[in-house]
Amino acid sequence: MKITPIRRTVQVLSLACMVAVPLLNSRGISAVSGSFYSVGIGPLLLTDPLIAIQPLLATMTIDTTLLASALIPAGFALVFGRVFCGWVCPQNILSELFDAVGRRLGLTCFFAPGPVSPARYVVLAVILAITLLYGFPLASLLSAPGIISVQTARLIYEGTVGLELALIGIVILAELFLVRRVWCNYLCPVGSMLSLFRSKRTMRVVMAEEGEHACIHCRECAKACQLGLNPMGREIASQCHNCGACIDACREMTGERKPLSFRF
Amino acid sequence: MSKYFLRPPGALPEADFLGRCIRCGKCALACPYRAIRVAGLLDGLTIMGTPVIWARQSPCYLCLKCVPVCPSGVLDNRVKKREDVRMGTARINKKECLTWQGTFCRSCYDHCPLFNEAITMDSELRPVVNEKKCVGCGICEHVCPADPAAIIVIPRDPG
Repeated sequence: MKITPIRRTVQVLSLACMVAVPLLNSRGISAVSGSFYSVGIGPLLLTDPLIAIQPLLATMTIDTTLLASALIPAGFALVFGRVFCGWVCPQNILSELFDAVGRRLGLTCFFAPGPVSPARYVVLAVILAITLLYGFPLASLLSAPGIISVQTARLIYEGTVGLELALIGIVILAELFLVRRVWCNYLCPVGSMLSLFRSKRTMRVVMAEEGEHACIHCRECAKACQLGLNPMGREIASQCHNCGACIDACREMTGERKPLSFRF
Repeated sequence: MSKYFLRPPGALPEADFLGRCIRCGKCALACPYRAIRVAGLLDGLTIMGTPVIWARQSPCYLCLKCVPVCPSGVLDNRVKKREDVRMGTARINKKECLTWQGTFCRSCYDHCPLFNEAITMDSELRPVVNEKKCVGCGICEHVCPADPAAIIVIPRDPG
């Protein structure tokens, strides 16, 4: 069973929900309401962990409701990795789409060289430090999925969109012409925050020990990775969002021997 | 225009509001009158993404559906009755007000949701705002026939 078709279905459902929720809300049906910042499903409240800790840093007030609402998303990341990014986030859907277009058009751009995992945590730390120092929730203005969903709602409610969408445009242009997939890979604070919830048992792509014999070193997995990671290494980098493209590419080459797979 | 914006009912004082509002836009989704708008980049970087009400275009009808949906508590859940709301205070510009200038008009008086409490008529049937009762919903500003409106809501002191 290939992973990518399932993931594409989830992505389409995610986009459909993003449009359907404001459409239904505007007609008075509001059992589900919210955005990729925070969503309420009936009495259940789910909030992006990065967004939820901002008021704590900005004003030093502990809002237990808000912090508790981040537990399920954080727990989900702890078990399944940052699948929100790979399977749900609308920015990743856009970035994947434009990456495919860019490569078809032959636009040259490269992955940033060198070890980048710590660099993204530096970006996250700077953003949170600014929140702490200036009492201002900066990450809300930098959450690409949040901006896309709020602006979609605004388009449905008011018929206009705001200049905030410029961030999304800048990200897409930078990814097409400068560094491939730079946002999700190195900069996005939402994704970096989700990768903090990672333990030894978090679901990840693993080269099975018994699979090492099955690996034919074709490097198709590394080529398939949009984030430029190497699944054949000992430990895949923490920015892997478990999209499963490498596993699909591997199965294509090795059939049922399955050197690569998701493991907990 | 005032430096501060008219916020939805139950909003915390401005400084706290800006720090704690997570800009999720749920209050705007909950507003059946589409009175709550999401501020854009042009309204200012610190304001961007926060809910604002442009009362002249569409005022708050005090249904209070936005208050319970706020996940960050910057819309105070303790505000349950419309009399508890303190968004701002209406102020009449007597030089522009039709009635104060001699033409008979009682649009603001008639449309005030706290009828005959927040806006009363004086002995000469001219509208007067009772600052203790006015909640700042902006309906008076919305219905005022003068252009520009002769009664406008001054957002609550940031205090």
